[in-house]
Amino acid sequence: MKSNYILPIMVLAFVAWLAGCASPASKEALVVDDASFGTRHPYSVSISTSGGGETTAMSYTNIPNEDLAAAIEESITTSGLFSSVIKGDGADYKLSVSLVSMTKPMFGFSFTINMEMAWSLVNARTGDVVMRESIKSSHTATAGEAFAAVTRIRLAVEGAVQNNIRQGLQEIAALSLD
Amino acid sequence: MIRKDKLGFIIVLLSLLVLLHGCAVNRATATVDQTTDLSSLKVLYVKKYSEDTRDTNVVIKDKLVEMGFHVSETETEVDAIVTYVDKWFWDFTFYLLELTITLRDPKTDFPLASGNSYHTSLSRKSPEEMVGEVLTNIFFNNQKQGVDNEK
Repeated sequence: MKSNYILPIMVLAFVAWLAGCASPASKEALVVDDASFGTRHPYSVSISTSGGGETTAMSYTNIPNEDLAAAIEESITTSGLFSSVIKGDGADYKLSVSLVSMTKPMFGFSFTINMEMAWSLVNARTGDVVMRESIKSSHTATAGEAFAAVTRIRLAVEGAVQNNIRQGLQEIAALSLD
Repeated sequence: MIRKDKLGFIIVLLSLLVLLHGCAVNRATATVDQTTDLSSLKVLYVKKYSEDTRDTNVVIKDKLVEMGFHVSETETEVDAIVTYVDKWFWDFTFYLLELTITLRDPKTDFPLASGNSYHTSLSRKSPEEMVGEVLTNIFFNNQKQGVDNEK
């Protein structure tokens, strides 16, 4: 390759790298499917999520609220933590999970995402608040896991969300529900 | 020496880069936890972000006072602690790219409510406008829960 093409190609690669700096998180990668929490609450639960958002070409990797809710639902169903997950009204307990903050590193060989989510669980019948926790999680994706920075960011986000869901469900498993 | 045609190619690519980076992205979201009654919050404390060098805490404090809250000078005996993260970016001048404000339970640090505003260079807003947008969304437009109105 002629050396006089190297500079334009480098510039082009830089532009492509910038333009492609967002890759949406995979819903399947958020699910905690390797855990049994040792508790089976004989109640139904509904799930609402907020604070997430769509990933666009110009934004950072994000988590759609629908995907976060679906991942929590599947994690609960797989582990049997509640007897059922109900959409809409009629559940025994209402679980609310909100993404409060997420760090967004832009450069580096390893990307570490730190995340905070607010978890609250309310008895739908009595209105009693049975859990109110700020859950912090993190995950590091290294260059060994993926060469492309955009992929490492996505892996780090997915790992941090999955860790957060695991911790949140562990907290719920430790509760004594009426 | 760089030849003229190659220089033109590089200029086109750099223009594309600037264009991509300067696209107008607007996003404003607010969420309030199901266990939070915002009407019970009267006395607040604004905790300065450790990396804030532009006194955004003062802008937040002034706006809260304007909205009718009592803003305490200490963390004790307050209904909520206000924390925030401000991200500034340079595009000919520095501007506030993203602001996240969170209201926290003073005893447990639980996030009672949170709002975020993100405006890139072409749709940049002043710090006062950004703070106003976030606080208004938290206290008055929190039915926007989960809304992501990117343009």
